[in-house]
Amino acid sequence: MEAGGDSGKRNFITWFMRNWRTRPLFSTGAVLAAMVVLQTLALGFDFPSFGDWLVRWLMNWNNILRNNAGIGIISLGMTFVIISGGIDLAVGSTLVAIGAAVMVLIDTGPNGILIRTGLTGIPAYLVAIAAGVAFGAFLGQMTGLLVTKGKMPPFIATLGTMKICRSVTQHFMQGYTPQVPRGFLQIASFPVAGHLVMPIIYWLFFAVVFYIISKRTAFGRQVIAVGSNERAARLSGVNVQHVKRMVYTLMGAMVAFSAILQVSRIGSMDYANAGSGNEMDAISAVIVGGTSMAGGRGFILGTVFGTLIIAVMNNLLNLLGVPPFLREAFKGVIVIGAVLLQKRESSS
Amino acid sequence: MRGISKSFGSNMVLKDVDFALDGGEICALLGENGAGKSTLMNVLGGVFPADSGEIYIDGQKLEFTKPADSLAAGIAFIHQELNLINDLPVYENMYIGRELRVSGKRHGLLDLVRERRETEEMFRRMGMDLDPSAMVRDLDASYKQIAEITRAVMMNASLIIMDEPTTSLTDPEIDRVFRMVRALSEQGVGIVFISHKLREVTRLCTRYAVLRDGRMVAEGDVASVTTDGLARHMVGHDVRTESLQRERRLERSVLRAEGLSDSAHFRDISFDVRAGEILGITGLLGDGRSELFLSIFGAGSDYTGQVYLEDRPIKLGSTTQAIGCGIAYLPRDRKENGILKDMDILENGSITVWPIISKFGFIDKTRQGSLFDAQVKKLRIKMGRGTDIITSLSGGNQQKVVLSKWLSRNPKALILDNPTQGVDVGAKEEIYDIVMRLADERVAIIVLSSEAQEVIRLCDRVIVMYHGAVTGEVSGSRMNEHNIMRLATGAVDP
Repeated sequence: MEAGGDSGKRNFITWFMRNWRTRPLFSTGAVLAAMVVLQTLALGFDFPSFGDWLVRWLMNWNNILRNNAGIGIISLGMTFVIISGGIDLAVGSTLVAIGAAVMVLIDTGPNGILIRTGLTGIPAYLVAIAAGVAFGAFLGQMTGLLVTKGKMPPFIATLGTMKICRSVTQHFMQGYTPQVPRGFLQIASFPVAGHLVMPIIYWLFFAVVFYIISKRTAFGRQVIAVGSNERAARLSGVNVQHVKRMVYTLMGAMVAFSAILQVSRIGSMDYANAGSGNEMDAISAVIVGGTSMAGGRGFILGTVFGTLIIAVMNNLLNLLGVPPFLREAFKGVIVIGAVLLQKRESSS
Repeated sequence: MRGISKSFGSNMVLKDVDFALDGGEICALLGENGAGKSTLMNVLGGVFPADSGEIYIDGQKLEFTKPADSLAAGIAFIHQELNLINDLPVYENMYIGRELRVSGKRHGLLDLVRERRETEEMFRRMGMDLDPSAMVRDLDASYKQIAEITRAVMMNASLIIMDEPTTSLTDPEIDRVFRMVRALSEQGVGIVFISHKLREVTRLCTRYAVLRDGRMVAEGDVASVTTDGLARHMVGHDVRTESLQRERRLERSVLRAEGLSDSAHFRDISFDVRAGEILGITGLLGDGRSELFLSIFGAGSDYTGQVYLEDRPIKLGSTTQAIGCGIAYLPRDRKENGILKDMDILENGSITVWPIISKFGFIDKTRQGSLFDAQVKKLRIKMGRGTDIITSLSGGNQQKVVLSKWLSRNPKALILDNPTQGVDVGAKEEIYDIVMRLADERVAIIVLSSEAQEVIRLCDRVIVMYHGAVTGEVSGSRMNEHNIMRLATGAVDP
């Protein structure tokens, strides 16, 4: 019995190591699980009852998920972009542009566009949401056109659009503070059974949608084919340009959803700083999730894990009282660690 | 090398192999894909160590754990994927890793003048007319090969391993490389020549060694053996070499071209392939045949002239359209153009059918599976599970998977560009069989190949191109290597 237990332990270790090496989702999942354990320990057990502890633990998780839903949604779109062999540096700036556009539409002040046409309440919100998503998709299309028809490296193309979007938004929104109607805030803060979980539901919804797209649809598989070997994909009849345009279009739509979420959570936007760093956070989440920067290999579930790993780590550092300026350094360590891990896989 | 064994995981690739080579010998190392040739040479080249066995150089026992070790012992390994840097001139490539410094200092500035001069001197001594200042990018494949060999010589290699050096070369280029190899052997350099092309082996090599399933099964002097004998050693049974053509009823025209020209690669090309016909197109490097068919397929440069599919004029703007109207194109260079290395076997064989088996964008996995299974049976693809990665297959089976994605679309016209490139003898025969069967099924087939023998064996008639123009067409008894070569080199009139 004892001998059996010993070999059982050894079996577990070999099983674990094999999976760790060969299955990226397993290793990111394991890292996430370790993070959650650490975070749980850091939260401590110094509570009057198990019930109190559980409530505190769940509330902490609710906060983590809600605060990261926006970046989580962007990261989903970014996963497709990176799998296709591209990159999008402009997401933070397009977020501001789309956010501003939505706010101008729903503004209840004298400059509000929809209110002047007599449209208020839920119909106005729906129009604003649709317009915001369309605007995001349009910006994505533009990026896609630069990359495909303009034959530009995505890094350069989106570096350009990044500058353009934020600068133009800041210029036109100078001295103009739109009034976001209360009703619009319900999008993010509509309580479900007394809890603020709507952002989490949106994130979960999009994660499932993206997962299904990537696994089951021709488009999702073609994205992987294009990232894996663009020439071979083209010679197999894949419309590579269309696939790439669609990838950036989807990315734009996801940024739009994230922007709408942010507007409805905060009710305002700081055009100079909102969304800045989002591109790097999203790229980090995708990379930590095991998606290859070289394209062709990537995992939607991995990106969700990646987002959570970074989020839980932030929370952990917070609980441990690590000074805020140092926290970014830990993000850096996680990203570098993830890439080192990928390297080892590909060379073995 | 004595008693070399090597395993990867549970797969024993080399089983107690002995191998010896004298200076000045050119030894062909033969074997089907997966026989262990590359593994044996990787052990010798220090790419990875053997599990057991010993290596002796000039009677001295040595251990190689990294390529630098074997290089230091005078062994140069020229890999199939050449190790040159495209964006540097030839002479700088010659000295990579051991750059010459101004006034001999270790960390001084590069002495490019001397590097250039010595490279030029070396080329002259070897009788190669090659400009040392040319950018590697601009060299054709044979000169790249020659540059790589020259580098090995300049590093005082006493043994040079060449892994399928002629795969991407045309015949005159091959001659050029062979002249150089012979010159080296006369200077006492030992050469190991890994190849699939048996006729080259009998032309060039003095000795041969055949590996099969990780064992050395035959060795000897090339003079005492025929190509058929070598092929028999490699596969373990007889191989056919006779022409495969047979009488077939030719029907309506399927793919016809009239006066196709583009700005750079081909001029005034016309041809007509009928249902059930196998048309060969061959030529030397730079003949423009691949570019021509890429253009027809909607993936190349724009052209003037008219293409007809079943007598209806067509002009394809994209590969998607081409496939939609029943044209299939198996590209050359499987690794670069055919394989999606991050995807599994099943998906590599199914990518072309997604548009027709998807409902609302969702792939019908059941149909995907059954379509692919049918091809696996038809093409006799040897594989594990469909979810294994494509690179786990041998070259021949990878090629069959790439072919299967086209056959699943039931094309009317099938264009095969170098269909047996990097495929071993056995798989080659199987691919020929498949092509013959497709012709019997009334598919119009165009075989583009740089190997004259291949088109002669397979095709009903052969069009020969030279520098973007058709120089002639041969069929029947006039379809022989001599005539084809005369047309391919532009020496008109067969």
